[in-house]
Amino acid sequence: MEYLLHILILIGIYVIAGVSLNLVCGYTGLLSIAHAAFYGVGAYAAALLGLRFHTPFAVSLAAGIVSAMILGVIVGAPSLRLHEDYFVIATFGFQVITYSVMNNWVSFTGGPLGLPGIPQPVVFGMRISSHWGFLALTWALAALVFVFARTLVRSPFGRVLRAVREDEVLAQSLGKDVARQKMTIFVVGAGLAAIAGCIYAWYITFIDPTSFTVQESIFMLAIVILGGPGNLWGSVLGAVFLVSVPEMLRFVGMPSSIAANMRQILYGLALVLLMMFRPQGLIGEYELRGK
Amino acid sequence: MAEAILEIAGVSKSFDGLRAVDRLDLQVHRGEIVALVGPNGAGKTTLFNLLSAFLQADEGGIRFDGRDLRRESPHLVAGAGIGRTFQDLRLFRKMTVTENVMLAFRRQVGESVTGAFQCWRVRKQEQECAVKARESLAFVGLQEHAVALAEALSYGQQKLLALAMCLAMDAQLLLLDEPVAGVQPEMVVRILGLLREMPAQGRTVLFIEHNLQAVTEVADRVVVMDEGRKIAEGSPSAVLQDPRVVEAYLT
Repeated sequence: MEYLLHILILIGIYVIAGVSLNLVCGYTGLLSIAHAAFYGVGAYAAALLGLRFHTPFAVSLAAGIVSAMILGVIVGAPSLRLHEDYFVIATFGFQVITYSVMNNWVSFTGGPLGLPGIPQPVVFGMRISSHWGFLALTWALAALVFVFARTLVRSPFGRVLRAVREDEVLAQSLGKDVARQKMTIFVVGAGLAAIAGCIYAWYITFIDPTSFTVQESIFMLAIVILGGPGNLWGSVLGAVFLVSVPEMLRFVGMPSSIAANMRQILYGLALVLLMMFRPQGLIGEYELRGK
Repeated sequence: MAEAILEIAGVSKSFDGLRAVDRLDLQVHRGEIVALVGPNGAGKTTLFNLLSAFLQADEGGIRFDGRDLRRESPHLVAGAGIGRTFQDLRLFRKMTVTENVMLAFRRQVGESVTGAFQCWRVRKQEQECAVKARESLAFVGLQEHAVALAEALSYGQQKLLALAMCLAMDAQLLLLDEPVAGVQPEMVVRILGLLREMPAQGRTVLFIEHNLQAVTEVADRVVVMDEGRKIAEGSPSAVLQDPRVVEAYLT
């Protein structure tokens, strides 16, 4: 039972990550692979504040969001001047830098040893420590993020995002401040990703830099691409699929040493097949492609 | 003569030493329909890109409605009231015809993050925009295609949509890059009919066109460019018989 709850909590965390990345890459067409950096900054903010200052839940969460948004501005300011492949490479660079800082700034982040013993959050006077508690917290926040994202994409703001994805030049000629629009959604996406990071830190109670590598960014991107860029339910589906299907391999009697590799192969294969036969994702409408 | 809404004085633009626009002077008056003609490579589209700030002039001044446009960015120029269409006909192809027009409206509350959450205000403004979009589409005769995707329209209809978007953004000066090129004869008549209505709405039109018959029909004045320079200017009938113009076109 706890195992099942664990999977559901992870799904919730990745729903938040997927939905937030979908705003940036699915709706706006900005293929960022720095998302795990924002997720990581959220996690480190929650962990450090909890460990050193025992800050209340809401303060840690807010600090996580704000730190990630600040990093979002730092990453976005140079990267968003670039287009297509160059943007992807720039975000990759910042992802690597962020990981490197987490790994090497030992006095602050604990370096490769990570930060153990992160205190569990107290929400409305209740300490969240059980799996059920975390499930409720995670899914409540995931629902909030989902509703927030849906309100955004259905609004005129969301319409401009899609316009930017389709044709930046035309959007500019109609008076839309494309640079500002991209920066806004990039920073909002970073802030939302930090929420997932905070939950992760509280739930696992231990973080180290290996959870926030470029692999993690690519996993988040896979959720968006698999589910369907430009479709929020697609990211939910993508998270459910990519978190739970590999776990199922455990139950077909595969030794764990092979299962771990098998998971990587299956996940890679799923992406290749999808790009070949359904480039718009399982339930998406738009193909993710360079403009 | 009415006041000049657009004043171009000594504007030049070079690409790798090639002078695409060479010390060009041009004035366009409010309510006027001016055609820009000339052979391929004469610098007409470059001039449009300068006017809409997608390119910056190397030298010279551009004033629109008294405002200096030299160091502006495209979205600000658009906001100041210059609308343009593109030679390669840009539209938001995967969006509906109505969405395309609604994107053109200015000052929408819901286009900022904080505005997007003022649900009641946004809904009210969206309803107003939808009504205005229907009017714009009815004006150009696309009301029956309101829910179609832009890419599903015929080429001529796509040109009408691009025009409707310029009108929706409330452009005072329309820069139209080949508004009737490549469309069927009936559609040419329809588009030219719409252009003729622009002055009555207080709008000014500067358009690039190779179809000289169309130019003769709607333009008040024709400006001929060749190798980045203005080589002739005047009424359509006079200019299009000018031997220099004929030579520029034939060689």
